[in-house]
Amino acid sequence: MLLLQFFVSGVATGCFLILATIGFSLTRRVEGFLNIAHAELLGVSAFTTWWLNSHHGWHVLAAAVAAIAFTALVGLGIARVVYDPIRHREPAVLLITSTGVAFVIGGALHGLIGTGIRTLDIGLAQRYEAFGLRVTSHQLIVVGLAAAVSVSLAVFLNRTRTGLAIRAMAVNPELAASRGVNLSATSRATWLLSSGLAGLAGVMLAMLATLTTDLAFAQILQILAVAILAGLGSLYAVILSGLLVGVAMDVSAYWIPAGYRPLVAFAVVIVVLLFRPAGLAGTRSA
Amino acid sequence: MIPTQSIWLRLIAALFALTLVAAACGDDDPDEQPATDAPDTTSEPAATGDAEPADEEPDGESATDVAEPADDVAEPVDEEPAEAAEPADVGEITVGVLVPLTGELGEFGKIVADAIEFGVGEINAAGGTRCGTIRTVVADTGGDAETGIREATNMIESEGAVAVMGPTSGVMVALVDLAHREEVVIMSPYAGTINLNELGGNFVYRTVSSDLGDGAASGLWLSSRGYESVAFLIQNEESTISPAEVARDEVSGSGIEITDFIVYNPGQPSYQAELTTVLANNPDAIFLAGGQESGVTVIKEAVAGGFEGEWLFTADLAVPEIFDAVGAELINDKAFVEFADADPSLPEFIAFEERYDKAGDPFAPNSFDMITLVALSLEAADSCNGAGINSVIRGVAHSDGAEVSTFAEGRDILASGGAINYEGASGPLVFDESGTVSGAYTIQQAINGEWVNVEFYPASTFDG
Repeated sequence: MLLLQFFVSGVATGCFLILATIGFSLTRRVEGFLNIAHAELLGVSAFTTWWLNSHHGWHVLAAAVAAIAFTALVGLGIARVVYDPIRHREPAVLLITSTGVAFVIGGALHGLIGTGIRTLDIGLAQRYEAFGLRVTSHQLIVVGLAAAVSVSLAVFLNRTRTGLAIRAMAVNPELAASRGVNLSATSRATWLLSSGLAGLAGVMLAMLATLTTDLAFAQILQILAVAILAGLGSLYAVILSGLLVGVAMDVSAYWIPAGYRPLVAFAVVIVVLLFRPAGLAGTRSA
Repeated sequence: MIPTQSIWLRLIAALFALTLVAAACGDDDPDEQPATDAPDTTSEPAATGDAEPADEEPDGESATDVAEPADDVAEPVDEEPAEAAEPADVGEITVGVLVPLTGELGEFGKIVADAIEFGVGEINAAGGTRCGTIRTVVADTGGDAETGIREATNMIESEGAVAVMGPTSGVMVALVDLAHREEVVIMSPYAGTINLNELGGNFVYRTVSSDLGDGAASGLWLSSRGYESVAFLIQNEESTISPAEVARDEVSGSGIEITDFIVYNPGQPSYQAELTTVLANNPDAIFLAGGQESGVTVIKEAVAGGFEGEWLFTADLAVPEIFDAVGAELINDKAFVEFADADPSLPEFIAFEERYDKAGDPFAPNSFDMITLVALSLEAADSCNGAGINSVIRGVAHSDGAEVSTFAEGRDILASGGAINYEGASGPLVFDESGTVSGAYTIQQAINGEWVNVEFYPASTFDG
């Protein structure tokens, strides 16, 4: 039963990783580089939620919606100002630039928020027990949102014109352009979507965690682990990858000290890449 | 192809890139002010003998720190004793205040900086040292060792600091080599790391006891509560693991069951995995040695998970903000916190409390003692530099001489050729071989949203 409890915890951990990584992977596929600043966008959203909720008394739901929208616009603004002018350069240049952007966002948060810890003005999580297993309301929200986002994203990418354009651009931008896809508009839609997803993950971070200005960037290693494990193929692999890493990390605590959880995450990545060098989903595809 | 971006976007991008380049290069240029988050407070030297401490307080938001670098700052090193023996012409002597004003430990850094400034105000009001009035240069480490080395180097080499006070454990350890190389005294009022048990003692001192003492005090408290089982949740840092191991040995030696000893990594959104076995074992108490970020989340998740027992926290959680962050109702009457503290019954502390309204803040007395010891050492030394301070500080802190508790008292006795024994506001300061003092510890309980003293362990509790 204890092992099952670790598994339940791992599913929740994995679902948070899915939320934190899915926007990152979308950017990686469409724009072609690892946007290290994605993690700091979680911080932008988390602290916007905190500011509206705890400082200005907004209901947490209204604060969350506003924070997600704001983060999406911030992400789009950064893309237009910083990345678009250099997007023809090597991915390594974009990656290094995104690291610089991460430092700028982190520094701005540090300057605006200051020292100490911050928490949302929300109640303690409710506890539910069934079949000897324990789960909290916060964990259920994370799992539910991860499922909703996954389904919604699938519908969006497969059923809408913009979604299909994003997929086409991810596979072959030149071919997509020759077939009438507006690459500029599609790129903007991608940044809005991926940054908005970072915003959603940031709201979850604010709900679960105790915020410091360093906390969001501390998630980047696990985001990278999940994204690399997923590979460049289908975005759905991010869901599998997130769950795999989350469950492996938490279930491992049944046998080995919990301090090794990050090590387990990367051990999973290494083992999988040994057998599937292109990640769970293989190479870039539609 | 994406259409070409408009000109203005390119210009903004270029500006952005230039900003990044400038930020990256700025710290490498010793002639430029480092762009840190440090405060802009340096107390102006109280050359007029103004008794008030600095008006400005560290706000942790501005760039570096310094007061106007004075042209007449005393030469800190390589000064011949004969020249230093005539300090009246010098006017000022510089000490560095190197504290975390941002980051998780920012609250403590501000307390330390304020208490030092209060001490400087008293010393300068009494006429300053024979090496000149004390001028402080403040910088923010953010708790980062690399930043600490850079700022300390700047303080010593550019500002002429003869002592650097206030680093946290990790920064303090990183500065040991610099202290030896530059012959500058480094002191901390809260760096309990056991690494300094080996590295400290020469140019490296602390007015707080080793973390191992915290472990002993925590173990003593846990063993005295009548618990049958205790779980340990320890943040993965040397400064928390070592004392926790001492506490664990004390607790298990008392016949209490240790249900879990879990070392966890901070910076996680959730600690449910770490709490799974703890909650399954349902101990009578949890010993939580963690920072504020991880600690608050652990407390909330444990209570949400059904834990109804008692808590013992370590010093990082001994701040009022915890009640807002956790929710006072969750920890009232159930939570205790242990930290190194001054003995409130000591007349030296009582006198300090009457002069300084923030004397009760954690590590404020230790910080005041630090600057007073440095000032008295300058009085006693042959030279106005770090080597001079280092050569006499042990004798100033503890000797067969007259007991003093303020700078003015000590200065007068030293001037008349006598020896002094400084009795600090934080307690008797007897440096052992590692430059560490023995400590006293307080246990506080969460009552009605406040930390209230419930037990005090004087240093003598742990003798032998």
